[in-house]
Amino acid sequence: MIRQILISDPTLRDGSHAVAHQLSASQIALYAAAADKAGIPIVEVGHGNGLGASSMQVGLSLEDDVTMLETARKHLTKSKLGIHVIPGFATIKRDLIRALDIGVDVVRVASHCTEADITQRHLGFVRERGKEAYGVLMMSHMASAQTLLEEAQKMELYGAEGIIIMDSAGAYLPADVEEKISTLVYGLKVPVGFHAHNNLGMAIANSITALQAGAKILDGTARGFGAGAGNAQLEVLVAVLERMGYVTGIDFYKMLDASDLAEKEIMPSIPVIKSESIVSGLAGVFSGFAKHVARISKEYQVDQRDVYRELGKRKVVGGQEDIIIEVVMDLVRNRK
Amino acid sequence: MTEAVKNLLFEDCRKSCTQKQNFFDLKDRVILMTGGTGFMGKWVAEIINYLNKSESFSTKLYLLGRNISKFKEEVPHLADQNFIVLIEQDIRNVHDLPADVNYIIHAAGSPDNRDHVSQPLRTLETFYKGTQAILDAASRLSQLHRIIHISSHQVYGKNEEESVIQERFLGKVELGSVNNVYAESKRAAEMLCLIYRNQFKLPILTVRPFSFIGPYHDLEKPWAINNFIRDGLLGGPIRILGNGSTIRTYLYGSDVASWILQMLTCGQNGETYNLGSSNAISLDELAQKIRYSINPGIEIISKSSRENYTSFSKLIPDVTKITNALNTEEIYTLDEAINRTIVWNQLIRN
Repeated sequence: MIRQILISDPTLRDGSHAVAHQLSASQIALYAAAADKAGIPIVEVGHGNGLGASSMQVGLSLEDDVTMLETARKHLTKSKLGIHVIPGFATIKRDLIRALDIGVDVVRVASHCTEADITQRHLGFVRERGKEAYGVLMMSHMASAQTLLEEAQKMELYGAEGIIIMDSAGAYLPADVEEKISTLVYGLKVPVGFHAHNNLGMAIANSITALQAGAKILDGTARGFGAGAGNAQLEVLVAVLERMGYVTGIDFYKMLDASDLAEKEIMPSIPVIKSESIVSGLAGVFSGFAKHVARISKEYQVDQRDVYRELGKRKVVGGQEDIIIEVVMDLVRNRK
Repeated sequence: MTEAVKNLLFEDCRKSCTQKQNFFDLKDRVILMTGGTGFMGKWVAEIINYLNKSESFSTKLYLLGRNISKFKEEVPHLADQNFIVLIEQDIRNVHDLPADVNYIIHAAGSPDNRDHVSQPLRTLETFYKGTQAILDAASRLSQLHRIIHISSHQVYGKNEEESVIQERFLGKVELGSVNNVYAESKRAAEMLCLIYRNQFKLPILTVRPFSFIGPYHDLEKPWAINNFIRDGLLGGPIRILGNGSTIRTYLYGSDVASWILQMLTCGQNGETYNLGSSNAISLDELAQKIRYSINPGIEIISKSSRENYTSFSKLIPDVTKITNALNTEEIYTLDEAINRTIVWNQLIRN
């Protein structure tokens, strides 16, 4: 049976983490045009933590939201323009209305995996405006399958047309993915999706496992460009999907061209699984912390691996970047 | 609110009140409705408005709700009427009710399942503590003739066997799921009513509503028909989320309120009645109907977690008991209900 898989490409959003949110408008223009030519269904654009997130706390963007979205909009004709929205960072009045007015087609409203309640107004607003709304549960390894289902059911009721769970820490093994995705598929009405990170080298395997468990939406980025050890590598993902007989609607060669272009024009270095990324994945720490942990650990000369271990013990989540310095200071004190 | 909108509502009430003899006992009487500022409360107020104006009923209506200022903003033509008295109060805190009340329609509590999953404890409290508060207060009323408790079809739980649900149907409500808090709360509220009828001899009957549509139904509520109309009015696509074979029925707003008011005088204490339409339709067919009512060119798309469903949800009430009690039938067909809802929404948006 031929199955259509919806591919969403957050190269220009999750990839922003990998360059400390310093993607330029010209880089966005180049990749958006190439992704559009390749027929990638959804191209996600913005600060790594989403709309309205540029801040001292999580990192200042080189470009503001309006510039990023207007630039992408100009270069996307076939592909839909998507954004990642975490209520709190993004408000409806200040950010979301403006983004929809610019021409955003798809809004993925995200929360920590146990806090779906905060997404109600944003999801409802997007549906009221007639745009596509998805719910995203981040750091999903921190909740049981049953809890994820309950939170996902809330998002479904709030208006989400699909629910994506994120392996934000790259902590999953295929058996975890199988359990969680199949629980969601059988408990929800709307399609289920999976967003992988590659800390343990499992991004593609986990994405395929998600698919086999019933997921219909997968995220992948050019060369895996994303936070920490990166995401599922889009070129590989599409190749494997084609080999397995799935349909993505993507022009494979043009997508390879887009990835080559991305490597040349927007990546200072291709994501690799560094030693600290493996520890981060094992500890279950948000991949978006990587740059902060590296910088602060270097400054205070502590071992990044110890920092990740401690952050994992404290069950720190995205948005709590300030705890990194707290952990580092504790390590410094203990060293004395 | 424009004259065109008010005329549409008035005409709906006129058509839904054809069994005039069923309403006569409401003349010069006093009704109190909890949850009075919602969909059902607004329609009850419209019908009383019609009866007072066209049939000189002089019926007084207390509407008790949590957000009176919103009601005044949304329906000033009702809020300004002398026969309506608005009471802003949380149902859980009710102690005394006006002494002149003859009839109570207890419809407090949101049927919006977004509220139930977000605030499960408040949901349980509203239905349990709120119902007990109302029943305690009602037991001190000397001129009380009847209480109608508005329950929910959700007390029936999952329906995988019966094609049509009768009032005696014993459904299964899954244990261990917080998402069933609404069904369990309504069951608890029904039990409270049974106890107060048995122990304190309160004159109570229970009505179990199914799905409705019509003016005053907020299109942002998380129900398929509302969202299909909303999507259609936005120019599409109309999005079917989940299994398109799901079966539902829809009773029009003026029929809903008309039947509830008639039950005040024609129902039997201690009895339970389904309230809904018997005309079943799948969500796929419903989306088609709405598309053709708005613009045949609108796209319909389906999104579901699975390709093949082995079963589908059916909610079709057997309404023989209530239609026999009232000697009536639903006035508005589904096509008319859809068209009038669309027209009303277009009128209020312009």
